[in-house]
Amino acid sequence: MTLNLRVMAPNRIVWNSEVQEIILSTNSGQIGVLPNHAPLLTALDIGILKIRINGQWSTMALMGGFAMIDNNQMTILVNEAEKAVEINPQEARDTFQIAQKKLAQAEGRKQVIEANLALKRAKARLEAIDATPPSPVPN
Amino acid sequence: MQVPPCPPASPSPASPPPLPCLPPPPSPARSFPARGGAAASPAGRKPVAACPAFEGLSTRSLSLRISESADLNAELASKRPESRSVTVCSLKDLRDRIATVKNTQKITDAMKLVAAAKVRRAQEAVVNGRPFSENLVKVLFNVNSQLQTEDIDIPLTQIRTVKKIALVVITGDRGLCGGFNNYVLKKAEERMGQLRKIGVEYTIVSIGKKGNGYFKRRPYIPVDRLIDGESAPTTKEAQSIADELFSLFVSEDVDKVELLYTRFVSLIKSDPVIHTLLPLSPQGEVCDINGNCVDAADDEMFRLTTKEGKFSVEREIVRTETPEFTGVLTFEQEPIQILDALLPLYLNSQILRALQESIASELAARMNAMNNASDNARDLNKSLSISYNRQRQAKITGEILEIVAGSTVTI
Repeated sequence: MTLNLRVMAPNRIVWNSEVQEIILSTNSGQIGVLPNHAPLLTALDIGILKIRINGQWSTMALMGGFAMIDNNQMTILVNEAEKAVEINPQEARDTFQIAQKKLAQAEGRKQVIEANLALKRAKARLEAIDATPPSPVPN
Repeated sequence: MQVPPCPPASPSPASPPPLPCLPPPPSPARSFPARGGAAASPAGRKPVAACPAFEGLSTRSLSLRISESADLNAELASKRPESRSVTVCSLKDLRDRIATVKNTQKITDAMKLVAAAKVRRAQEAVVNGRPFSENLVKVLFNVNSQLQTEDIDIPLTQIRTVKKIALVVITGDRGLCGGFNNYVLKKAEERMGQLRKIGVEYTIVSIGKKGNGYFKRRPYIPVDRLIDGESAPTTKEAQSIADELFSLFVSEDVDKVELLYTRFVSLIKSDPVIHTLLPLSPQGEVCDINGNCVDAADDEMFRLTTKEGKFSVEREIVRTETPEFTGVLTFEQEPIQILDALLPLYLNSQILRALQESIASELAARMNAMNNASDNARDLNKSLSISYNRQRQAKITGEILEIVAGSTVTI
């Protein structure tokens, strides 16, 4: 029995094919999923998704959502997903630095919340293309 | 310079009067007067014929060839004050005007077809979003059924006493869409008036260039943010709006978020509605400000079809099946945490749907407006052509008469 993965964003289906292994980043750590996994429902944090097909790993940046696995069918619903090949490295680095600056300048609860979200997303995109963030990120 | 009235038309071969004479004033029934004997007028003077006054075909916009025409006009106006003021125009001007109107008609026709094509695309976007919302609703229902007895304390569902409301106004980016943007802004003003009356503060988040311009010109309205819309709503756009609203709500800057957009109901009517976006109900119901709530599992889909050869809009309610999960589903985290992750997704998809419906309505309004414009252009073209032909025929008749008159002299 092979594992089938569906990744959906509000306006399109990002991924729909059979895979061999999936690694998700959830709120409570990373989860690996192999065929015949027990039924599971988990919330996903803004992070990366690793997929193994034919022995090759590919990465995707997910902007928060949830994942459900039932009967070898994994359904992931996210606000937005970007495949690693679609991300421009330089642009991702620039976005990350801008997000860092914004967080440093943020005043008031509302701006801090917004800036934190933007930073998390930029970080996830950088991780997806295997580049580590340039400097330690304040939580 | 006083212009004498023409001598009554007579078959006598007397030489035509040397001065341009006042042709008999036109009767109210727009018939052309007999041409004055301006044939033998000094070189450089073109024949003058009065033509019916059209809107836009004013003396200001037309170049009058003869200086006397101004006096002609004044004479006519003073002689017969009750008749319409006569606009003097030449064949060339009429021809130019007809060409312009034809071009405009081509443009409005094309814009109508483009808008119709874009509506189909907007429809497809809604259909593409169905799998997402279906699955979301299924999981939402099931998680909620697990949570029945517990108290839910998620930031997005917090109901607080309302001191300040954020009103999200979705307008279009471009004009030429009839009253679309005006209806939305009027409704916004109405709502702001209501809120002022009950003493609730408000702030505006405006999406779309037309709304942005409106609020920019009115600095007395408290505005939180002006966002420019895009031609096709994307998740990135919905995400940034959702972020803004999320942070406004969770930081307790506002206690309620209302969404004002136009539902795609019919091609003719524009129906702006106001929905309460935040606080979300844990069951995912969508409520409008009058308290009418729609279940999350009921989704209304719109479709642009043709009925009897004309475009029409059909809406159908699609209900998502929400079967219980088979087997034991382990929750990796507490159900509350999972709900916490589900609701932002729900918020995002709601905003995206509102944007999509708004775009579809704007396109429908534009289709309508361009349709009316094409019809008007067609009518205008017809009347201009009639006028042009009459004038042309009058000119030809006049020339023939001159020749006849001249030949009778020689005979």
